[in-house]
Amino acid sequence: MKKLTALLLSIAILTCILCGCGAQGASLTEEEKNTVVIWHDKEEAVSEALSDELKRLVPDVTVQLEYKSNLTEALKMVGNDPKAAPDMYFFAHDKIGVYAEMGILAPITDLIDKETLTASCVDMTLDAAAYKGELYQLPVYFETLLFLYNRLYMPDEKVPGTTEELYAYMEEKTRGGHYGFVEQHSTAYYSAGWIHGFGGCIMDENGNVGLSSPETVRALEYHKKFVGLMPGESEYATVNTLFQEGKAHATIGGPWLVSASRAAGMDLGIAPMPVIDETQIPISPYMGVQGVQVLKFAAENKTEAVKKVLYALMQPEVGISLARVSGCAPAVEACYENDEVASDDVVMAMREMAENTIPMPNRPEMDVMWTVAADMLVNINMSGQDVKESCAAAQKNAEELIKKMQ
Amino acid sequence: MKKSDIKSDIKSTKKKKGAGTAAAYLWSAPSLLLICLIVVFPIFYTGYISLTNMNVYHWFTYDLIGLDNYKEALLVFDSGFLSALFLTVVWTAVNMLLQLVAAYLLASLLNTKGLKLRNCYRTLLIFPWAMPGYVSILLWKTGMFNSQFGLLNQWMEKMGFSPVKWLADDMSAFICCTIVNLWLALPFMITIIDGALQSVDRSYYESALLDGADWMQRTWYITIPAIRPIIAPSVVITIFTTFKQFDVIYLLTQQAGAKTGAHIHTILTYAYENAFITNNYGYSSAVSMIIFVILIVFSYGINMKPKEES
Repeated sequence: MKKLTALLLSIAILTCILCGCGAQGASLTEEEKNTVVIWHDKEEAVSEALSDELKRLVPDVTVQLEYKSNLTEALKMVGNDPKAAPDMYFFAHDKIGVYAEMGILAPITDLIDKETLTASCVDMTLDAAAYKGELYQLPVYFETLLFLYNRLYMPDEKVPGTTEELYAYMEEKTRGGHYGFVEQHSTAYYSAGWIHGFGGCIMDENGNVGLSSPETVRALEYHKKFVGLMPGESEYATVNTLFQEGKAHATIGGPWLVSASRAAGMDLGIAPMPVIDETQIPISPYMGVQGVQVLKFAAENKTEAVKKVLYALMQPEVGISLARVSGCAPAVEACYENDEVASDDVVMAMREMAENTIPMPNRPEMDVMWTVAADMLVNINMSGQDVKESCAAAQKNAEELIKKMQ
Repeated sequence: MKKSDIKSDIKSTKKKKGAGTAAAYLWSAPSLLLICLIVVFPIFYTGYISLTNMNVYHWFTYDLIGLDNYKEALLVFDSGFLSALFLTVVWTAVNMLLQLVAAYLLASLLNTKGLKLRNCYRTLLIFPWAMPGYVSILLWKTGMFNSQFGLLNQWMEKMGFSPVKWLADDMSAFICCTIVNLWLALPFMITIIDGALQSVDRSYYESALLDGADWMQRTWYITIPAIRPIIAPSVVITIFTTFKQFDVIYLLTQQAGAKTGAHIHTILTYAYENAFITNNYGYSSAVSMIIFVILIVFSYGINMKPKEES
């Protein structure tokens, strides 16, 4: 009896294991055609607001918002498997190139009329959504870095208008564990603003590496003197904690820092980015556009349901609702006619900043560039290596690694 | 007994044995299949991918391209890789030595006669095991080593010294990584040595005491030879875990957005920065296969020694 039980159990387990290897059908029922799964990695408040708006605007489509912590890697694994992949994903525009090259994305213009998009969205957001001449994203909102200051230490009249004024303020105030200004100085995303302010770049829109260009070298040489008056660590937690605990008077941070600082009782000010004296261009950070991308399978097999969701996402109510919970600037122009949005200092600061921001490159090569640029910044700012030599070495390394991507 | 009877007996015994073996394989089949799926299949699949041009531009439509990726991969094994390999060996040796000595001392203290609250100490010493490694490492990074808020610098300031950037310099970063690795690895080694110490026959020590042997002599001539065969497999496992260490060094010094300025690389962190970030799975698989061969050779070298001794 025991043997028989063991035998049956063995066969049952074996069958269960092998069941997973079975082929899966691709034909959809009506119910499945009317269900749209959206992966996202946003905080609960954003996903709830999005879910509520979609329920209201498209009651006849079942929209399932699923949180994925490692969304980008998960998509690489299952992007072409209709049973495992989502129908859409809500994410920043900078990964569009990777998925477009992988062949899992459908151009958004296959589902929405291009003229309608152009007429309703902020121009810059559509520039960000384009890859090799095709639009792959429906922009929903955008975010960029802001110059934030603590009014308790830095009154409005002392806010620096230029980088030299900022440096003078840092020299005066940085002492005894207090800092005049802090930022994530050795992170590519943050340093890019200084590089762009000198006319340099990490990578241009055509995929050319710009790490050793004279403009980039000059920017990093200039930036280095500011780093000397900042703490050794440049990671997110240290920089933000210093600012939120009142040990740093000003910082460059994202909108996510605004709500946390205000919740902590800080009298927070938001100012335009300081203008670089040498070039007369303000520090010009990257802009990230958050939006929806549609996977090919869904575009081909759930066309009607996907279209309904996309058109719903273009309604100003969605942008207004998301601006309220995220503090980010809506991509749909009509949202700015709303009083609540127009009176939100963070949203409006970001809207104004959009003129001086550069959309993050959405090319696949950026996966390499983030690491190489960060290494270069660490070598310059933290290991004290020569700027020109570090830039030249990073340029060579980046070009070699990009060659290896092919 | 007739010859034919003996023959038929042998035949039936062989049959029974054969049936027994088949049944044993059938009952083990789920486990064997799982091992094949989880361990063997990924190795072969990585080997297969390493022969293709699977990358962002050929994600689902990749072709076999022979050994091209290996030609490229060998370029990763430059002077930077060699210094990373050297550091990996030093890292493994230093960590193993410290782990063995510290675990032996702590396990010996746990086995002291008449020790009160023995189980309480055991639980406390096992505690780092209960925490996820990722959390432990980041707690050490921000709670201890951070130059602004870390406990070490708060002590330094209280004593009148200026703050130190613990993770910015190669040597101090290496020491910090070793301390964190020691914290993470000690519970395992203490548990094994503690168990091994309890299995040593007390009568050996009594005889040695009668012969006038001191603590050092008892340790050297009785304890170590007695526990060596018991702890040997654990030591081999730990050597491998330490050799292919990635998370401690990466999270403490090289995490994206939180690099500290130290340039310490093990072979895996080096391969990560010079191959895996390219999203070229064919090329990265070739690098992985070469590292896999290095590990196999290393394993063979380690396994040779006990055999020679035996």
